[in-house]
Amino acid sequence: MALKGLDIFKLSPKKNCKECGSPTCMAFSMKVAQGAADINACPYFSEDAKAQLSEATAPPMKTVKVGAGDAEYTLGGETVLERHEKTFVSKTRYASTLCNCMDEAAIDARLAEIPKVDYERIGERMIVEMIYVNYSAEGQYDYVELVKKAAALGRTLVLGVTDVEVAKAALAVCKDGKPVLNGATAENFKEMNAVATEAGVVLGVTGKDINELYDTVKALEDLGNKNLVIDTTGATVKETFANTVMVRKAAIKDNDRTFGYPSIVNLAKVAKGDAHLQAALASIFTIKYGSIVVFENLTYSEALPLYGLRQNIFTDPQKPMRVEPGIYPINGADENSICLTTVDFALTYFLVSGELERSGVPVNLIISDAGGLSVLTAWAAGKLSSGTIEKFWKEHDIEGKIKNRQLIIPGKVAVLKGEIEAKLPGWEIIIAPAEAVQLVKFLKDMQ
Amino acid sequence: MATLFDVVFSGNDTVFGLTEGAIDAAIAEHGADKAIAFPDTAYSLPCYYAVTGTKVGNLGELKTALGVVKTLMTREKRLNDVFMSGVATALCAEFIEVLKYMDGAAPYEAPCYGHLGDAIIRELGVPLVTGDIPGVAVIIGAAPTAQEGVDLVKSYQAQGILVTLVGGIIDQCAELGYKTGANVRVIPLGADITSVIHVVSVAVRAALIFGNVQPGDAAGLMEYTFKRVPAFVNAFAPLDPVIVACGAGAIALGFPVVTNDVDTLAAVHANVPKSLIGQADVSKFNATSLEARDIKIKITNIDIPVAFASAFEGEIIRRGDMQVEFDGSRVDCFELVLTKEASEIEDHKIEVIGPDIDEMPEGSKQSIAYIVEVAGKSMQSDFEPVFERKFHSYLNCVEGMMHTGQRDMIRIRVSKDTFNAGFRAKHIGEVLYAKVKSEFAAVVDKCQVKIITDAEQCTKLRHELATPMFDKRDERLLTLTDEGVDVYYSCIMCQAFSPSHVCVVTPERLGLCGAVSWLDAKATNELDPQGPCQIITKEKVIDERIGEYEDVNEAVRKFSQGALEDVSLYSIIEKPMTSCGCFECICGIEPLSNGVCIANREYAGMTPIGMTFPELASMTGGGVQTPGFMGHGKHFIASKKFMKAEGGIERIVWMPKDLKEQVADRLNATAKELYGIDNFCDMIADETVAEDPETLLAFLEEKGHPALSMEPMM
Amino acid sequence: MPFTAKSGKFNASIKAVTLGSGDKATTIGGENVLPFYTFDAPIEHAPKVGIEVTDFGMEHEPDCVKKYYEGCTTAADMVKKAVTFEGVDFVSFRMEGGDPNGANKSTEELIATLKEVAEAAGDMPLVVSGSKNAERDAELLSKAAEAVQGKNAIILAAREENYKTVGAAAGLAYSQIVGAESSVDINLAKQLNVLLSQLGVNPSNIAMNVGSASAGYGYEYVASTMQRIKAAALSQNDAQLQMPIITPVASETWGTKEATATEVDVPEWGDVESRGIDMEVETAAADLACGSNAVILKHPVSVATVSKLIKELV
Repeated sequence: MALKGLDIFKLSPKKNCKECGSPTCMAFSMKVAQGAADINACPYFSEDAKAQLSEATAPPMKTVKVGAGDAEYTLGGETVLERHEKTFVSKTRYASTLCNCMDEAAIDARLAEIPKVDYERIGERMIVEMIYVNYSAEGQYDYVELVKKAAALGRTLVLGVTDVEVAKAALAVCKDGKPVLNGATAENFKEMNAVATEAGVVLGVTGKDINELYDTVKALEDLGNKNLVIDTTGATVKETFANTVMVRKAAIKDNDRTFGYPSIVNLAKVAKGDAHLQAALASIFTIKYGSIVVFENLTYSEALPLYGLRQNIFTDPQKPMRVEPGIYPINGADENSICLTTVDFALTYFLVSGELERSGVPVNLIISDAGGLSVLTAWAAGKLSSGTIEKFWKEHDIEGKIKNRQLIIPGKVAVLKGEIEAKLPGWEIIIAPAEAVQLVKFLKDMQ
Repeated sequence: MATLFDVVFSGNDTVFGLTEGAIDAAIAEHGADKAIAFPDTAYSLPCYYAVTGTKVGNLGELKTALGVVKTLMTREKRLNDVFMSGVATALCAEFIEVLKYMDGAAPYEAPCYGHLGDAIIRELGVPLVTGDIPGVAVIIGAAPTAQEGVDLVKSYQAQGILVTLVGGIIDQCAELGYKTGANVRVIPLGADITSVIHVVSVAVRAALIFGNVQPGDAAGLMEYTFKRVPAFVNAFAPLDPVIVACGAGAIALGFPVVTNDVDTLAAVHANVPKSLIGQADVSKFNATSLEARDIKIKITNIDIPVAFASAFEGEIIRRGDMQVEFDGSRVDCFELVLTKEASEIEDHKIEVIGPDIDEMPEGSKQSIAYIVEVAGKSMQSDFEPVFERKFHSYLNCVEGMMHTGQRDMIRIRVSKDTFNAGFRAKHIGEVLYAKVKSEFAAVVDKCQVKIITDAEQCTKLRHELATPMFDKRDERLLTLTDEGVDVYYSCIMCQAFSPSHVCVVTPERLGLCGAVSWLDAKATNELDPQGPCQIITKEKVIDERIGEYEDVNEAVRKFSQGALEDVSLYSIIEKPMTSCGCFECICGIEPLSNGVCIANREYAGMTPIGMTFPELASMTGGGVQTPGFMGHGKHFIASKKFMKAEGGIERIVWMPKDLKEQVADRLNATAKELYGIDNFCDMIADETVAEDPETLLAFLEEKGHPALSMEPMM
Repeated sequence: MPFTAKSGKFNASIKAVTLGSGDKATTIGGENVLPFYTFDAPIEHAPKVGIEVTDFGMEHEPDCVKKYYEGCTTAADMVKKAVTFEGVDFVSFRMEGGDPNGANKSTEELIATLKEVAEAAGDMPLVVSGSKNAERDAELLSKAAEAVQGKNAIILAAREENYKTVGAAAGLAYSQIVGAESSVDINLAKQLNVLLSQLGVNPSNIAMNVGSASAGYGYEYVASTMQRIKAAALSQNDAQLQMPIITPVASETWGTKEATATEVDVPEWGDVESRGIDMEVETAAADLACGSNAVILKHPVSVATVSKLIKELV
């Protein structure tokens, strides 16, 4: 049970000294409770109070950082099991696989393939974030060489290697990139721990079943290493799902902190050769507790829906997703095309723009800043009004950019018509139907 | 002198005799093994099967069944015996009818239908269940004139009611060339009175098919037909004992009988209120029947010469385009809803008192008052203002009409185009009638509208009727207290984006969005019992001080799907109520001054708590309990229940200036009443005084703010 | 100390609803655990996969789907072929052409096609979907319920605007399973179930469509609605939310730009068929993970993939 801000405040120095960066102790305490501030930012909390609080505020799941520079990612740190309870904080990260068992041509092809996925979706750059570099004892290709080539792509590496010496050699060439060393087993954990700690990288724990995983994690914690991830991949898809869910559930619901670490789910192992099945599974593990999900080969085909899904799942349940306000020309609209305006709530945008595209009619879709709320909510909250539209028109110089003077407004705010007419002289205001699905017919009829 | 008992019993005996004779004759001719059946039904003899659970397949079984029917024909002089004899008469009629179908005969020819197959029932059953067919009329006998008969049929047909015809009325329709048939939902059954069983058979099979009533469950059958089959009988004079006996059967199924044979009714001293009704005037059969059977006709179109759509809601009528203006700020105007007795209202009556719009000079300012009078079994005067507040949106939806304000401060403009299209004062009534009837169908049974444009009358009515009414309502609002009511309401309108949030709306604590008062929630619940506002009882007190109740907790648990365990109504520190995200204001503890600061949504600056409104909102929203912080509506600030557990409004130390001005009058009044403090608002700081705790404290000390000397909050 | 997992088995369960009447009748629902949590308790009835054919037959299908139906001309031809594809548990026929704002085909025409389709489906359970226009569907789906009497089909769907007509026809007059469609809100879903129950529809003859979206298109609402419904049904034992969930996927995903943008327009995105399939299977997998008991897909490879996914997980 997380502590309430008020409980923290009671232990605070109540000096309002502002040294922590917050204007008051109350504000600081509330931030700590939310996890938005670190209690150590305050120099005046007594050690007693801190000890008391750190026990109570310690998250059920560790937050682990991997990668370096632009490729640094935060994993774990979740406090809930379903997204509607509270925002999931650390996005699932996706990896493609390289293996020293592949031949040179295949390796080069894969290396060329990985950077191809690179696009922007609602303000976020989408790439293959990680590369899982697998070591096979039978592999012919030089592993260290392979790691070097992989590292050259600037993505975070996950080294899938259980051979201690090979691991050491590989880390020697890539440890600055803060890769994950996914190689601790029940047999080698002591040695691997030393290697990982020495190199300062996160250690991945594997095991033949969930009990062995548990024991190994515990043993590593006893050695003082809490910089871990757990590879929950089992022998089958079913076992992998069970492991992944049970580990997360134990940590968050049942407060068993031994399992309070991020996970690695290796689809390349359990669904080898079936790209569509890997795509389907990636979807499931994005919703259910995969921190790093490993594909054999992640291409645009899998990435496009998956990265969209991830954006959806990892949003604040209280804050709707927003699109950037501005003019979106649809169906080749130009300055003479009719205008239609709606709010910047992503769902509204997708629905409306989809219907507009379906209509085939060139339209300038003008998205104004409405705080990311839906039409009626924005209207009720005063974020969509004749005033906000007028302001937006001025700020974005709509009249300078568009010559057409017809504006379609959402049917649900028909009530704004008169006021908008008054605020935007020279514009003909047209009322759209109340539902987006009726837009196609509406636009066709208008023509 | 014959009584109703005598008439029914004798009619029943007559039919029984006929039936017995017919069955015996048939057995003599064909033998007891001769098969009998109605065509196209899986329900044997549907009425007998439904009542007894026994299927009848041949003449011998039919004879046995007749023996069972005989047991219903008890002869005590109680109403129940009348009903059972009625049922027995109906079953006899079914037996007589089935005999007609022996050997695959087709006893009925066009236009008559006789027996109706299962397929037709499934087809008619769907619109009956959905209410698209709002009722079933059974017309028996010949109207005084053919025209009156046809007019009656036509009136039902226009309302979408399914009409079935028995006897003379069929000939009357034919005589005037009136079209009948299942496709136009006017179904002639047959010339003999026994053919009436075919519509009873429809009702009974509807119960079996749509109501899942088990054959043999006579009580379940009666309950279903009474509650779900909105049928009624119109029987024309003269009534004979057989018709009366059949009528008794109809009443037993819950179908009222309306007849113009008032003499016979009087003669037999028939007194079965709401079920057997004399109505000498055939032109009133329709209204009488609908009221007796409680049938409401859906209003689908509004009879006005211009368009009605939400697209016109924001239309502005400029002075130059205006034909006439009604302006409550200059002359006497008002709008009012009044609850009346059903008998005082003639449904859809629209009365214009005073000059019509075409008698008013173009561009002139005029008086107007419209009174919408409603009646209904579930109508409550508390709903009146709820309806009234909707008038604004109704009238604005009329093309070329603009409405602002409410109560006696309304202003209405009608455009020239709309006037030229033929829009007159009565059309205002049409709009109000149609909208009130359709949107509030759950509580409004009848509605009439008075539109007064006579200036003198407007003035008189405003002062004598409207103003006292508004005052009374305000007083009611003021006297509505949490203690004074038995139930509160939940509101979960916001759960779409705040899944675990539940508002508990009480008379003194409106929803935190500021938009849902206890009366609104109550009306929402009555109008939409499955909707977002549900009744919460508050019988099991846990802690009076913080306002915690076992039943409120249970409700909150249920409506938050278990996310929220318990809430208090009056504390912001102990189990405070959660917030969705649409709160008008947030109040939060300011520890240094031992009080609370309130920030409203519009306020963009810093508060002495050290957080802005958005920062406060981010930690208070989402349906999570955040002790020390709470979202609420503006109106709640002046409530006596505002953080009552922590000492009430005396704790308020800071508010943005704008907000303070909005609530000052009421807050001062509450402070005066509770603590005897004058001009309490002057002691409350705002952003012009302080945005940090230290300056705030200095100000409060200077003013001697009571919070400083209250018990520590934490 | 070894790891001990706490069981997440619930005392309540989702209602099991059987669709179809022949040898291939199939059951959805019945579980008392979260989706695929077989480690908590066995899941007797695995989720099912349906294949969608519309009244337009081949006409509106993308090329990559058409090639699997070579030689077919009518919708019925397609259904005959569809039932032979790997992993198909039921056939879904969608009367897209009924949309008054679209082709606005006559009820007679659509019902005639439906009858051919029902015939072609043989023993395979049937789902009949409407035009998405509530007013039109009231009439269309009532007739459809009548036309497939005895099939124990899911009539998809009754909505708040037309639940009385569709519910009475499908649930009462012709004993089909009533699909109850609401738009991504747990309370609306519940309200519709309550209303249908009050109408007299047996709660065991209801399957919910609680709304759907493609992955990336506001899917968070779908995920949370489904997850909350399952939580309320299982942990709160809310009987009015214990109906199994059926989710149309194909009708959402095949219109997205990920599935339709041509290789000429966006060469870097690669093979359009593969994109269409991945959009479909990823969305379907998400639906299943959040609580759908059945999904309706279009591409035969998607059907086979999702069917394999389910077999691997249950």
